[in-house]
Amino acid sequence: MRKNVWAFAKKEWPVAASLAIVLVVWQFISQTGIVRSFLLPAPTQIISAFQHSRVDWLSNTLVTLNEILVGFAVAVVIGISLAILISLSPLARKMVMPYIVVSQVLPTVAIAPIIYIILGFDNTSRVVLVLLISFFPIVLGTVTGLTDVDQNLIYLLKSLGAGKVKIFYKVRLPNSLPHMFVGLRIGITGATIGAVIAEFVSSNSGLGFLITTSLTNFDTTLSYVAIVILTFLGLVLYGAVELTGRLLMPWLRSR
Amino acid sequence: MKLGALVTLKDVSKSYQSITGDRIQAVKNISFQLDEGEVVALVGPSGCGKSTILRMIAGLEKPDSGAVEEVRSERFLIGYIFQDSSLMRWRTVYNNVKVPLEILGINKPERVQKMIDMVGLSGFEKQYPNELSGGMQRRVSIARALVHEPTVLLMDEPFTGVDEITKELLQTDLLYIIGGLGVTGVLVTHDVEEAVYLADRVLVMSAHPGTIIEEVRVPLPKTREPVMRTQEPFNLCCKEIRDKLHLLTPRRPETR
Repeated sequence: MRKNVWAFAKKEWPVAASLAIVLVVWQFISQTGIVRSFLLPAPTQIISAFQHSRVDWLSNTLVTLNEILVGFAVAVVIGISLAILISLSPLARKMVMPYIVVSQVLPTVAIAPIIYIILGFDNTSRVVLVLLISFFPIVLGTVTGLTDVDQNLIYLLKSLGAGKVKIFYKVRLPNSLPHMFVGLRIGITGATIGAVIAEFVSSNSGLGFLITTSLTNFDTTLSYVAIVILTFLGLVLYGAVELTGRLLMPWLRSR
Repeated sequence: MKLGALVTLKDVSKSYQSITGDRIQAVKNISFQLDEGEVVALVGPSGCGKSTILRMIAGLEKPDSGAVEEVRSERFLIGYIFQDSSLMRWRTVYNNVKVPLEILGINKPERVQKMIDMVGLSGFEKQYPNELSGGMQRRVSIARALVHEPTVLLMDEPFTGVDEITKELLQTDLLYIIGGLGVTGVLVTHDVEEAVYLADRVLVMSAHPGTIIEEVRVPLPKTREPVMRTQEPFNLCCKEIRDKLHLLTPRRPETR
C-alpha cells in the first residue's frame, strides 16, 4: 500500500507541481495588484468567500448537478437509440441525420430563449438544453462504432448461420463501445456547458444562476467560487464516465 | 480415407459492380472438387478472385452462373481463418475461441480448452488479443476456426503479414493440426511455398478474369516434415508452379 502511494507520487508529481505553481503565481498576481483583486480574486480570497458567504453552495450545486444528470441520461438514451436506427437503415440515416446536424449548427444560446417560451420557464427547458448539447457526440461516436466493424467478423458469424440480430449484439454492439465512450466523454462536458447556459438565460437557483447574480451585484469573488465548484463538478462527472468506460472495456486497460 | 466430394464447384462465374459502374469479372468458369480429407490450395496473383471462391463455398455469396454443391450432411460447417486474424478484441483468448460454439449453440466447453492447448496457447486463456503477438493472434484464429469441428476449413491467406520465421513455425503447426484432425480444407494464398507445403493439390490461377489454368499435384507424402521444404521434390514442385504463373519468364523493362 505504502509502496503504491510512493509509486503514484513518483509518477504524478508533475501534476501536483504544476498546480502548485499556477496557484502561487495566481496568488502573487492578485495580491500584488498586478491584476486588481476585484477582477481576479486570489485563491485564498475565493476559499474564504466559500467559507463565509451565506450562499447555500450544496443545494445550488445539487440543482445544477440534477439538470446535468437528467439531461445527460436522456441524451444517452436518445443518442444511442438514434445511432442504432441510423446504423441499421440507410433510409433513416438520410431522413434523420440532417436534423441532427441542424440541431448542432444552431447555437444553443440562440435557441435557448425560444425553448423556454415553448416548454415553459422550468426545469424541463433546462434539461432539454443539456440534452441538445450533449446528444450529438454520442450519436456520432456510437454510429461509427456500430458501422466501422471488421467485415471478416461479420463473414465469420454469417458463415456459422448467425442472423442480423446476433451479429448486432455479438459484434456491432461490443465493437461500438470505445467509440461510444468517446462520444459520452465529449457529451458529459457538453452537458455541464448546457446546464450553465440554461441557467444564464433563466433560473432562480444553481451554479450558473449564482454566477450571473453575483456578477450583477459586482461580487466577483462569489462568481469565482461558483466557477471553481463547476470545474470540480465537471471533472468528477468526466472521471465517472471515464471510469465506467474502463470497467466496461477491460480489454483497453491491458495495452 | 476418401469418402467422396464434400464440395463441388461447377462452372462457377461471378462478377461485381465496381464503384465506377463497370462490371468486373471476378472469377470465370471455375470447376473443381474438394474431396474429404484433402487440402486444396488456390494460388494466383492478387485480383484473381481467390477470396471470392472461399466466400461462395462459405455461402456468403451466390455465383452468377454455375453451382456450388455441398454434400448434404446434417451439419455442413465452415471454419474460417482470415488474413489478419480478425479476433474480437473485446474478448479474451478463451472467449474468442468459443465464438463458433456460441453461435451454433453447441455446449462443449472442453473443446475450447482442447483447441487452445493444441495451438500452444495454454496459459494465455485470459489474455486479450492486444496483449498477444501477431503470431499468437494467428494461433487463436486457427483454434477458433476448428473448435466446432468444421466440415471444411477455409484459409484466406492465413499468414500474410507474419514475419518469415514465425510464418514457417505456424505453417508447420497448422500442418500437424490439420493432419492430426483429418481436416478438409481450401487454402488461398499467393505464397507458392506455403501452398506446396500445406496442400495435396495446387490449383494455379490467373487474374482478370480469375480462372484455373493448371492443377498441380504435390508429390509429397501426406505426413510432411519441415525438412522436406529443402528437398528436391518440394523445390521442383514450386518451380513448376512458378513456371505456370509465368514467374520464370524473363521480363526486361523497355528502356527505350
